[in-house]
Amino acid sequence: METITRFLTSPMMIELIWTVAQIFAVIVPLLIAVAYLTLAERRVIGLMQLRKGPNVVGPFGLFQPFADALKLLSKETILPSGASKAVFVIAPMLTFILSLVAWAVIPFGEGMVIADVNVGILYLFAISSLGVYGVIMAGWASNSKYPFLGAMRSAAQMISYEVSLGLVIITVIMAAGSLNLSDIVMAQKDMWFFIPLFPMFVIFFISTLAETNRAPFDLPEGESELVAGYFVEYSSMSFALFFLGEYANMILMSGMTTTLFLGGWLPPFDWPILYLIPGPIWFALKVALVLFVFLWVRATTPRYRYDQLMRLGWKIFLPFTLIFVVLTGGVLLGFGLLPQ
Amino acid sequence: MSGIITLTVDGTEVEVEEGSTVLQACEAAGKEVPRFCYHERLSIAGNCRMCLVEMERSPKPVASCAMPAGNGMVIKTDTPLVKKAREGVMEFMLINHPLDCPICDQGGECDLQDQAMGYGLADSRYQEEKRAVENKNMGPLISTIMTRCIHCTRCVRFATEIAGVPELGAIGRGEAMEITTYLEKALDSELSGNVVDLCPVGALTSLPYAYKARSWELSHTSTIDVMDAVGSHIRVDTRGNEVMRVLPRINDDINEEWISDKTRHHIDGLASQRIDRPYMRGANGRLAEASWDDVFAAIAKAVKKAKPSEIAALAGDLADAEAMFALKTLIETLGSPHMDCRQDGSVIGQQGQGGYLFNSTIAGLDEADAIFLIGANPRHEAAVMNARIRQNWLNSGLKVFRLGEAVDLTYPVKELGTDANILDKLVSKGGPVITALKNAKRPMIVVGAGALNRKDSAGILASVSAIAKAVNLVTPEWNGFNILHTAAARVAGLMMAFLPAKGGKATADIMKAMEKGEIKLLFNLGADELNFSQRSSNTTMIYIGSHGDHGAAQADIVLPGAAWSEKDAIYVNMEGRVQHAHKANFPPGDAREDWAILRALSAVLGKTLGFDNLDALRAALISAYPVFGNVDTAQPARPKVLGRKQAISDLPLTTAITVANRGAGNSRNFYMTCPISRASVTMAECVKAFEANNDVKAAE
Amino acid sequence: MSSLVAAARSFLLLEIIKGLGLTLKYLFKPKATLNYPYEKGFISPRFRGEHALRRYPNGEERCITCKLCEAICPAQAITIESEPRPDGSRRTTRYDIDMTKCIYCGFCQEACPVDAIVEGPNFEFATETREELYYDKEKLLSNGDRWETEIARNLAADARYR
Repeated sequence: METITRFLTSPMMIELIWTVAQIFAVIVPLLIAVAYLTLAERRVIGLMQLRKGPNVVGPFGLFQPFADALKLLSKETILPSGASKAVFVIAPMLTFILSLVAWAVIPFGEGMVIADVNVGILYLFAISSLGVYGVIMAGWASNSKYPFLGAMRSAAQMISYEVSLGLVIITVIMAAGSLNLSDIVMAQKDMWFFIPLFPMFVIFFISTLAETNRAPFDLPEGESELVAGYFVEYSSMSFALFFLGEYANMILMSGMTTTLFLGGWLPPFDWPILYLIPGPIWFALKVALVLFVFLWVRATTPRYRYDQLMRLGWKIFLPFTLIFVVLTGGVLLGFGLLPQ
Repeated sequence: MSGIITLTVDGTEVEVEEGSTVLQACEAAGKEVPRFCYHERLSIAGNCRMCLVEMERSPKPVASCAMPAGNGMVIKTDTPLVKKAREGVMEFMLINHPLDCPICDQGGECDLQDQAMGYGLADSRYQEEKRAVENKNMGPLISTIMTRCIHCTRCVRFATEIAGVPELGAIGRGEAMEITTYLEKALDSELSGNVVDLCPVGALTSLPYAYKARSWELSHTSTIDVMDAVGSHIRVDTRGNEVMRVLPRINDDINEEWISDKTRHHIDGLASQRIDRPYMRGANGRLAEASWDDVFAAIAKAVKKAKPSEIAALAGDLADAEAMFALKTLIETLGSPHMDCRQDGSVIGQQGQGGYLFNSTIAGLDEADAIFLIGANPRHEAAVMNARIRQNWLNSGLKVFRLGEAVDLTYPVKELGTDANILDKLVSKGGPVITALKNAKRPMIVVGAGALNRKDSAGILASVSAIAKAVNLVTPEWNGFNILHTAAARVAGLMMAFLPAKGGKATADIMKAMEKGEIKLLFNLGADELNFSQRSSNTTMIYIGSHGDHGAAQADIVLPGAAWSEKDAIYVNMEGRVQHAHKANFPPGDAREDWAILRALSAVLGKTLGFDNLDALRAALISAYPVFGNVDTAQPARPKVLGRKQAISDLPLTTAITVANRGAGNSRNFYMTCPISRASVTMAECVKAFEANNDVKAAE
Repeated sequence: MSSLVAAARSFLLLEIIKGLGLTLKYLFKPKATLNYPYEKGFISPRFRGEHALRRYPNGEERCITCKLCEAICPAQAITIESEPRPDGSRRTTRYDIDMTKCIYCGFCQEACPVDAIVEGPNFEFATETREELYYDKEKLLSNGDRWETEIARNLAADARYR
């Protein structure tokens, strides 16, 4: 008994429990956010199309996500006989895990971060790049033509846009002078980066659309041509994991946009009164705003053609961001604005 | 009379034979002239006025069907005048025609509908009352809705001219005109169904087919009739797997445009009393359902038990050539000489093709100028041919003599009584018959079933042969010796020698041997007119057929075969015309084509027949009997001296359809002659209606 | 010059922003949605819903088995069989519509000479099994009895256009 108590109260154990508690504190609201993002998406797009969207299950349709979840979970998990079983099962898990792992370095407020690593942005970038593996595995393991084509498209698209994404991040790093995300947020105390780096902000946002396979770049899962892209063969829980992963990724990308360009947890103006509202609230509000734009764009734009998508990534964004990296560097250097 | 006339139709010159009508000239020019009353095979009435055309130098349009074509006539069929005339006629026609196309069985194949669409106005100006006409009773085959009648009188002319039963007529004038049967009695003709085809509107429709199907739902199969040995060309209309009706096809060499009522209406028998799975007699003496494997095993056992000489085969009246050939081959392989296709017990068939065919051919009936019927009743045994004989009598006063039972044949007949012994006297002493036949250019002797089915038929045939020689019946250009068959299967069976081989037993002997138990195993291919109840208990009878009739009821093992509409098959008509029938629907349940059953059985018996499909079977049949390769041609042959010296009994010559029919306890009638027609409710109703009529007549 | 303007428009994402503006405007517009089971839209007299077989006021069924509906049905959803009724009239013994095949084109009611088969105003006839959608004569006649008032009103409303 005593040993157990000692074991439980040992510093290592306390730290472990604390970390787990922290993780839960992030993941639980995140999953709830994902659930309501799906509802928000349907309602927002509905409203923009003069419809009402789901409004029957619960007040204002608020229980709709749970109904959907229940439905998905009660369905049969189908393993296609031609599929490569292990990879088929691992793929959705990988996607889901990767979308959660990245949140470790996102600062929700002053010091409110699970792992305040000094190369946070590099970590973030690395994790989001890994996402493509889940897609490729799913497409390949399904052993079916639509998933395969969807996965190919997805991989090409994600890799293409990561290049410009990386270059955009470089400009931010140059402006902030740090790879630590908290430091990047603090560097925006005077002015959020989206103002001086506005073109980069726009490109970053568009690239995140492509990175998360959202409209107008949702070619990998384009219903009209590929049925549902790489998760055609998925059903029930495994489909739900993909779905959760996708939407968690959207929130992650919004969080990244917020952190890099919209001042993270900082209030919009440096007035003391605004600091009464805690940082995480500001962060959540900004993330919600970016997510709204995600949905708004989906309701507005038709899907790109694949060659248009590639042209945009390689022929416009890449040279444009490259030039802007040089430009930013030059301006910072020339005007002595380099952060210390 | 055989000059050529040249006239102009719509600017094109056409040449027609003298005596043609303007309408025929228009048709020769490829112009369509609408008509209701005109029919190629009936006399010209000219009362519908639909065929009006414009003729130069004529003040008004002329009825083209009744106008003889003349040299240099100028006819126009597409002028405004003609159009207006047709529209006017059509409007008059429709004044009293009810608008009940939706409930009319003629709807969809109605001349009036088609021509109203093609030549009529879009709407009517008629505001007054329409007339209604009381329906007439025309028996169990014809439904009448006389309000629809347009008085074309085709039915009246058909009944009077072709059928020879002047029981239809028109009474009243103008609006009061009605077609009637005078006495409200059924149209007592074996060809009555044809008035339904002739009627251009829905006034006369088929009663058994009433409201059953629409013309557009039916799929058509051209095939051959098996109800008699004429081999009429027919079209079978099916919906799904059900045979809905039978219609004639035009073939001038055989049935012209007519078919008998039995052909037309026996088809409901195709669906009832069917054997749709194998049966085997169980320990309790009742037939019980069995599987193909079980019955084949039982047959194999029975075959093993019987010596080859204890096996026999009989073929019935509806068997197709393929099935008979397969059975014959099987029996030969088993080593038995006992087989016969003549269940009626006649002795024809072993003295060459000329001895059993209708050598003058059916079309030859038109040329004949004297006919001697011996024990034949063409009216019942080949109704369509009787119409031809009647036509010949109408056109050229053909002389007909008859030895046999006096039955109304619709034309005058000189009776010679029913005593067959007078044949010998005729040879020696002559008589009006002999004189007439001698003087005739195209004499015909027709020997019918009544003479052939007797025990002394060999003697009768010998006498007939003598007469034939005496009257010079067979010349290089004319062959007047004819056998009138009644069974569709018979000629094919005779052609392939489905007959006792050397030392083999014929039908009567097989029956006797079965009574004694000398024949232990009998393959019965649809022979239903025989009485097997006397056979010994240690004999086994295997029945292959489609209907549960006498044969199946008395069999030990029953194998379900296909009925005539359910198989591609070869039938040979009484002229020796090899005709291919086609499959219109599928056999019910487990039933299969008979030849296929025999082929499968042969494999079980270890004597596999050498054909795996119908083509191979036919090839084998043709290579064995090349006559079967000559399709759709009559194959008459010169008869040899027939029969043998035999005392002719005093038994009166009857004209029963088959004597065997009587043997199995059936009533003698036209409507029920085979398992299928016996299973037909329509035919039963006909028997009720018409035989009752005849009984009344007999009583009078 | 014009290419320059075009490039500028493209780089400044003018069209996209315009489009976003439009969708944003619609976000606040009144919605067209009907709260379906509680609110229902207007249905034209020509609405082609669930089929029904009608009767005459004296209870006699109208259908006379002319089979024109069966013939015209492009989906071949109608099956009719008939024989003379004991009283000699022409009536169906079977009138089936496979509602899973039906494409609701309304040709059957156009073809019907006696207004027997009609497509009524009812569209709420979803079932739990496909079998329930194989309508037979009894079902169709009961439909006719249930909807007769509406069907008769609709036919009367549309009569002058036919």
